[in-house]
Amino acid sequence: MPKVEINKAACTGCGVCVETCPTDVLRLDKHGMAFAAYEADCQGCFICQWDCAYEAIRVRIRGGQEIDA
Amino acid sequence: MMHKVEKVETDVLVIGGGIAAAFAAYRARRSGARVLLVDRSYFGRSGCSALASGVYPTYMPGDKEEDWIQGLGAGPLVNQRLLVKSLPVMYEHLMTMDRWGVKWMKEGKEIVRMGAPGRTFKNGAWMTEGGPQMMMAVRAGVLESGVQTLNRVAITELLTSDGTLPTEGQVTGAVGFHVRDGGIYSIQAKATIVCTGPYKFPYPWPGSTLGYMPIDLSGDGIAMMLRAGAQLSRLELGGINLNPDHLLCAPGLESLMPSGARFVDKNGRRFLENYDPKRMEMTSRALLYFAISHQKELGNVPSMDLRGIASERLELLKKVIPIIISNYEGLGVDITKEPVPYSYQVAGTSGIFGAGARITEQGETTITGLYAAGGCTDNAYLPGGHLSFCSTTGHWAGEAAAAFAARSEQGTFLPQQVQQAIEAIELPLIRTDGLDYEPVHRRLGEMLMEKVGLVLRADRLQYAIDKLLEMRETEISRLHARDYHELAKVCGLQQYCQVLEATLRAYLYRTESRVAFIREDFPVIDNVNWVKMIVVQRQGKNLKLWDEPIPEYFHIVPVRPTQNLHLVFRNATPAAHSKALGS
Repeated sequence: MPKVEINKAACTGCGVCVETCPTDVLRLDKHGMAFAAYEADCQGCFICQWDCAYEAIRVRIRGGQEIDA
Repeated sequence: MMHKVEKVETDVLVIGGGIAAAFAAYRARRSGARVLLVDRSYFGRSGCSALASGVYPTYMPGDKEEDWIQGLGAGPLVNQRLLVKSLPVMYEHLMTMDRWGVKWMKEGKEIVRMGAPGRTFKNGAWMTEGGPQMMMAVRAGVLESGVQTLNRVAITELLTSDGTLPTEGQVTGAVGFHVRDGGIYSIQAKATIVCTGPYKFPYPWPGSTLGYMPIDLSGDGIAMMLRAGAQLSRLELGGINLNPDHLLCAPGLESLMPSGARFVDKNGRRFLENYDPKRMEMTSRALLYFAISHQKELGNVPSMDLRGIASERLELLKKVIPIIISNYEGLGVDITKEPVPYSYQVAGTSGIFGAGARITEQGETTITGLYAAGGCTDNAYLPGGHLSFCSTTGHWAGEAAAAFAARSEQGTFLPQQVQQAIEAIELPLIRTDGLDYEPVHRRLGEMLMEKVGLVLRADRLQYAIDKLLEMRETEISRLHARDYHELAKVCGLQQYCQVLEATLRAYLYRTESRVAFIREDFPVIDNVNWVKMIVVQRQGKNLKLWDEPIPEYFHIVPVRPTQNLHLVFRNATPAAHSKALGS
């Protein structure tokens, strides 16, 4: 399952990722910072990473353990 | 329980937020209608279009119509005449999107096109910053034309003039809820266009690695149209496809193959030599799927080798298909150093072939006031759900809906029907002893994988239908939702189960095998029996299925005979195989 990592130092709380996430994963926390409120619904499309002007988000896809012969 | 009802009124309501919705809304607005676009997600970010593989297949002046027909429209179920009619529209859209700032690959000022697997000529315009940039530019252009939008509102039911579903009257609007604050919207419209995209088979549950994104294609719009009484067609041809096992996104064949990507076996040999030595990787998609699956079964570890792609082109591809390249990297594979193991699994996206509401060349469904376009339709029997055919059907539906709205009054507004729809939305929230969504979704998916899968057979299909009906009664209708976000998922699954029943019954109805539609109990190609459309409609509480001939006027040139190679696949018996090959 993909992981959404938010760099709190870089996040400005602008909310663009919260607006645009196709599967409605992200919200702003009580400090106004983005966080993955529904990470289980992340499809790993990288749209948030693409839309963030501050390079504050990194999506990590599960590693290669499932690659088999 | 939920917030107060906000009542909205418009001429044309567009439901959806991809490229079909965009062009439907734009053309309706340009025709003078007041347009409201409502998206379950965010207009420009939802569904398939923003995740597109960076290619917009398009006509350009000077192309031969015959090349388009031979290249894309030679199958027996394609409306070749409509294909020809769509060509100038897609070119107009290419130019419109250029004006809106979509970044096409150009030489000087000219947009250039590239070839793709299965095409006999170069027709793909590449987006140099992929689907994400394309859809945001399209969004800006559409909003500038004066289209109003409501984001994060999931439409759950259509409204009708007689207050009943299915209706004897016409569609008069829709009801939905905001997936974050729970606000209810009751929208009255003279004409409604459903552009909610395709649905997945099976519908992937969180954490499953089935199929590729988008993961939330639940077929809401198709289910709503079915309940309203609209005829659906091509369901049996859309829901099954073969997708890469190890990618969560689209395969990107249209840009990778013409760039020099190769399919190789464990010895590095290009195995397509055995299947289509002339076209190799540029062979048809169906044959690619077959060859890869076949090699996998033989234990030859089919892989995609990207090492032959020049570094300059690879840098371009990282922008054209950013999601795909990011996913490869996420898998921990250095694509510049080693081939990526590749295989295919069952997991279809219906829009690839077009499956859903039966529409005319004007995007009309079989219900007055209800229009549809793109992946949630049968594509009016255009060749497939490419972006350009979605934008084209959106264009036609938008213009026709606006013309209808211009000569119509608002339909009867029935508060009782709105109230019923609201109560249905709220049920999973107020149900205290309900079932959790996720395990039920998983059980349904696993049952489908076991009983339906790629190779279909009547007894397994019947079991799946019976089990689905039982699950609908005992589980799906008892789900609870902890918040509005989960409510959207529960509603999606409920909608999906209705489309699924129609689809499984259509699978059962078609008794031939071809391309990715494989009936173990009917393995032989039947060129006469194949050429028909299967129609599904809700009549009362039941689904009725029948078939109709493909109209003769569809075909300008004779249809191409079908290859039999697919019949070697899996469970077809040697005798059936020999018979199919004519030996």
